[in-house]
Amino acid sequence: MSAVESGKKGLIYLYCVAEREPAPVLVPGLAAAPVAVCHHGLYAVVSAAAETEFGEEGLKKHLSDFEWVKTKATIHNTVIGEVMKGGAVVPFKLGTIFNTDANLRSWLEKYEEELEDLLHELHGREEWGLKLYCDTGTLRSFLGAQDKEAAQMDKEIASSSVGKAFLLKKKRDEALTILVDKKLNEYGQEIYARLCALSVRARINKLLPREVTERNDDMILNAVFLVDRNAVGGFIDATKDFKDRFSSPGLSVDCTGPWPPYNFCELSEKHHGG
Amino acid sequence: MADKVVIKSRDVTLLEVLDRVLNKGVVISGDIVISVADVDLVYLGLKVLLSSVETMEKLRGAPFSGAQEEAS
Repeated sequence: MSAVESGKKGLIYLYCVAEREPAPVLVPGLAAAPVAVCHHGLYAVVSAAAETEFGEEGLKKHLSDFEWVKTKATIHNTVIGEVMKGGAVVPFKLGTIFNTDANLRSWLEKYEEELEDLLHELHGREEWGLKLYCDTGTLRSFLGAQDKEAAQMDKEIASSSVGKAFLLKKKRDEALTILVDKKLNEYGQEIYARLCALSVRARINKLLPREVTERNDDMILNAVFLVDRNAVGGFIDATKDFKDRFSSPGLSVDCTGPWPPYNFCELSEKHHGG
Repeated sequence: MADKVVIKSRDVTLLEVLDRVLNKGVVISGDIVISVADVDLVYLGLKVLLSSVETMEKLRGAPFSGAQEEAS
């Protein structure tokens, strides 16, 4: 804490607020080593940060440097992950910086109750992520081979004149496209519903385009779940089950965790704008 | 770029880390915070990063298939 208090001219970088006093965080911090600032039983995990690097100008400059962002984001996440081993945390966005120790304390004071409630809710729980991808070509062939109507139409196409076959094929393709959409929706709903039943809270995030995922298949579900620690085993088993069951129709299941609860930590806006 | 050794699974997890750390997490405002945002920034950067991963995978003759990281 002395590192923070002595750095009168420095800034204070906030990683997370913890419900318990964290064990010394041995991973490197963003600038100085992470330390805990205690306020009425809440523990703000912070590092002293240099104005040059984390001041408004410095930060703006660094944010256009992807290598910098990558490094800092990883450290930010690692520090929070370490603290999370000792109890619930409320993780903050990268670049949450206070000018002075007094500002940090007054912010903690203002949000004390809300943070306590949130930490209470998060206690013993973890965030898990699930991304579903679909290779539409594979799903299409899979459904085409299974679907009786499509098979029937294939027969008709084979025994038709060129002109009629063309129209029938068009009709068949359209029907198959509708079926693909319907099935994708069904699979997604089923998987999401089952994981919702195994978790305390769930959220659906935006789908990421191929340009971002750099995959050859499309993301069809991007969801996050808040899971009780004693239910995590069942949650993972369910995702393994999905992998087995849905690989033939061309679905890939990508499950990651445990994460700090980044997706489940909104604070109310009532104090904002001050 | 050629001397950069990138491990595939780790870097795809990086996408998850960046998405959370930059786009999620508690945002506070008031007298204190320089708000960092920028989905565009992250995704632009990731695109560059991941393309370089893909190139490397191709060089090794293995298809780039994305994250299949099973957390246990």
